Amino acid sequence: MTDRLRITGGAVYDPANGVDGDVRDVCVEDGRIVSSLPGDAPRLDAHGMVVMPGGIDIHAHIASSSVNQARRILSDERTADPASPPALLDAIARSGSGGTVPTTFTTGYRYAGLGYTTVFDAAVAPVGARDTHAQLDDTPIIDAGFYVLMGNDAYLLEQVAAGERDRARDYAAWLLGATGAYAIKCVNPGGIESWKRNVRAVRSIDDALGMQGVTPRAIMETLADAANALALPHPVHIHCNNLGVAGNVTTTLDSMGALSGRRAHFTHVQFHAYAGGNGKPWASGAKALIAYINAHPEVTADVGQVMLGPATTVTADGAVEYLLHASSGRRWVNVDVELETGCGIVPYEYRDAAAVASLQWVVGLELFLLSADPWRVVLSTDHPNGGAFTSYPELIRLLMDRAYRDERLRGVNHKLLAGSALADGLAREYTLREIAIITRAGPARLLGLADKGHLGAGAAADITIYARDADVAVMFATPRYVIKAGVLVVEEGQLRRAPPTRRLHVRPAYDDAVMRDLSAWFDRYATIALANYPVSPPRDAPVPVGAGA
Amino acid sequence: MSQMPVGGLVEHVTCLGCGCSCDDIAVAVRDGRIAEARGACALGVSWFGDGRVPAIARARESTVTLDAALDAAATILDQARRVLVFLALDVSCETQRAAVEVADTLHAVIDGVSSSTVAAAVLAAQRRGRVSATLGEIRNRADCVVFWGTDPAARYPRYSSRYAPEPAGLFVPDGRRSRRLVSVDVGDARGPADADTRIRVRADQELDAIAALRVMLAGRSLGSVPGDGGLAELVRTLTASHYVVIVYDAEPGGLPPEPARAESLTALGQQLNAVTRACVTPLRAGGNRVGAESVLTWQTGYPMTVDFSRGHPRFRPDDGARALVAAGAVDAVLVVGRALGIPFALDGLRSVAIGPAASEAPCEVAVDTGVAGIHEGGTAFRMDDVPLPLRAPVPGPPVAADVVRSLAQRIGTRRTRRS
Ligand code: SF4
Ligand SMILES: [Zn+2]
Repeated sequence: MTDRLRITGGAVYDPANGVDGDVRDVCVEDGRIVSSLPGDAPRLDAHGMVVMPGGIDIHAHIASSSVNQARRILSDERTADPASPPALLDAIARSGSGGTVPTTFTTGYRYAGLGYTTVFDAAVAPVGARDTHAQLDDTPIIDAGFYVLMGNDAYLLEQVAAGERDRARDYAAWLLGATGAYAIKCVNPGGIESWKRNVRAVRSIDDALGMQGVTPRAIMETLADAANALALPHPVHIHCNNLGVAGNVTTTLDSMGALSGRRAHFTHVQFHAYAGGNGKPWASGAKALIAYINAHPEVTADVGQVMLGPATTVTADGAVEYLLHASSGRRWVNVDVELETGCGIVPYEYRDAAAVASLQWVVGLELFLLSADPWRVVLSTDHPNGGAFTSYPELIRLLMDRAYRDERLRGVNHKLLAGSALADGLAREYTLREIAIITRAGPARLLGLADKGHLGAGAAADITIYARDADVAVMFATPRYVIKAGVLVVEEGQLRRAPPTRRLHVRPAYDDAVMRDLSAWFDRYATIALANYPVSPPRDAPVPVGAGA
Repeated sequence: MSQMPVGGLVEHVTCLGCGCSCDDIAVAVRDGRIAEARGACALGVSWFGDGRVPAIARARESTVTLDAALDAAATILDQARRVLVFLALDVSCETQRAAVEVADTLHAVIDGVSSSTVAAAVLAAQRRGRVSATLGEIRNRADCVVFWGTDPAARYPRYSSRYAPEPAGLFVPDGRRSRRLVSVDVGDARGPADADTRIRVRADQELDAIAALRVMLAGRSLGSVPGDGGLAELVRTLTASHYVVIVYDAEPGGLPPEPARAESLTALGQQLNAVTRACVTPLRAGGNRVGAESVLTWQTGYPMTVDFSRGHPRFRPDDGARALVAAGAVDAVLVVGRALGIPFALDGLRSVAIGPAASEAPCEVAVDTGVAGIHEGGTAFRMDDVPLPLRAPVPGPPVAADVVRSLAQRIGTRRTRRS
């Protein structure tokens, strides 16, 4: 254990504090960054190395009933990727299996092995929250939280229909606390409920969804306003309608426009940035989308890059997965969940010979390379949807190394790339500072995590130290040291310790009046007693909400 | 154990008597015993019993302290050449998680009841996926309920009243009258007596019948349709419905054995979703067997029959507990859960049991624990993979999760010391 540690001689990338590769010491005491230490404090020599805050994944799927359904059917790929226990000094090490959806222990070890110390699961059905907490309890090293699905929740939709936006807000507040969640997630607003009614396409955000006044627009407005009124650390996290459909960039721009002026996070926008459709071939819609984002400071996004190779698509957006199953003939899981949400799974492979997969790969890179503000457009692959989190180092190389990127570009299918900005040549190469923003400082800011994503005094001592390498993919895949809450987790490239983790969750206040109404709803429609619905409160204190947070 | 009530009424108790996992039971407690399990069906009432369970720790023939029993258990397991950890019934997910840790540390094989009950369905899902729904969705939405060779009244007594077809739901406001109830009788396995439609299929023609449904659904014509001609009508009913659920009993003893049933029904359900919305849901029995599959999956990647002998999990569906014991491939067994009623004999094996009434099983070392949901809390999974909290209406012996964790600790310490 390391109570005190002085990291000396490294080039520090701490963009939140304006530090850009300066060689300076970073001091750690009792799990936090401090401004100074006595001269005799133990030292860690980081000369010639790169020091960054620990990585923060704003959007991944690592611990939910849906993720476990995916694990269950992927016995073939995980057989090829067994995971022996690491040689830990402080805990019983556990084995597991990998593939695109690793087991819980392996997920924690592999994230930490990449220098990531905080991860959010982006889609948890309220009724499955207990399952998620149990899986996260078995996910070592990384601090974690999750977003709870609300965009198709029947009770919430009733409040939208009735114009009861205050009650919707109170319900959202209750549900966040009852499930131990961190943020509000809105997937294909109204579209999952429609899928359950066998209405398979939501054409626009103003489609009437069979309930008076309920449109995707109204759902998004309600949830965005709820999150902002509650002053949650992270705003509503939106997966737009029409994911993966040619021409969907129109829907995405409409959705952003609908929330204009409101704080909102739009997730895996790559999957929502396609032009074409209506008989016209698929094309990149990245330029239009990123132009909008660049011009609207209230909008934030993660990219959801597609990586060429194996993936598992797993989403609450069941309708999309049916289409993928129908068009690919692949295995397919659908689970409709309890008037709340859905779940669809199709194991997939993005092949460079395939025209659409190549376009998706290009669209994601265009969004990154045309983004004017790395603080607001951050890195994700929507793990494991666009590719597993283990491909982040490769993605970082694509962003930092133009020669490599151009070489990869030559190898993909160009059928749908006419007029694409990347095909026309984008020279930009991300700097280490920008990488530190899109993988650490940016996500921390978007998540409202004041003590993460930076190395200023008082921050959690989550630190990653990389040895430089000509191949940045190698550099980012094999950090030399990783420190989590002051504990040396990776030492000389080896995973050595698995300290306790922290659950990140919120518990906003709400007007109790909602409980009377909700109780009547439970009596009529629920299969679980209201008294049994909330999870036991996580042992960690909630992240504060409200103006003072 | 200590702060539990010895008298009074404990509400919202979850029953694990079958996979319905009804969580609306009010348990009346008098003098530390269960006087009444209000709201439970007869099966549930007998599952709760009066709450009395043995509470000793035993090594060979003698009663010993818990610590002595765990030391003896650790020695047996540590010295064995190859250990089988068996996840039996009536333990919480917390206990199951600790048991998988023991298996991992020991490089053991771990299995549970699934390999001798639902293995075919597990493998079918790996090949084809599944189309499913949680019970709340079925309750609120299913306007066509097909019981496939299954009348839930016998083994899942409150399924009909809590989930379907009886209750009114958001999209089926008149309950039973809002739904079409179809019984497909497979051989002697009959569906509910009050079905609106009844179709009879010979047991040896079940797969042909499913295949015929699929052909008709695809709009192709058939030379000859098995059964009494009701299948064509059934296709019309299914496609005219808004939300179809096909319910079958996945546990042995209900339907005639048919290993390909799960996969065929899944294929039918997937195909139905081209036209309407449909799901195929298995009925599962109690004791938190579904939780064991979930826990094994998140920790190892596989829902049953996992071999850690190479230091990492390998899926060995052909080498389940029964087969391994029969082949003499293991020399020691750790049963976690109810050891009476496991699907293999312990003769000739060194054996440790930790769980409800362990001391009544013919094991070398036994530690009695409470029954999950009666004497100890935690989490269990309903038949539809929905997690539920367990309550502990009466006090009981040591908590299984604590006992297995302290066994894991002992084994972990021994192994670390050696390496
Ligand atoms: S139906 Fe099953 S879970 Fe419900 S009370 Fe009866 S035995 Fe218990
Ligand atoms: Zn996602």
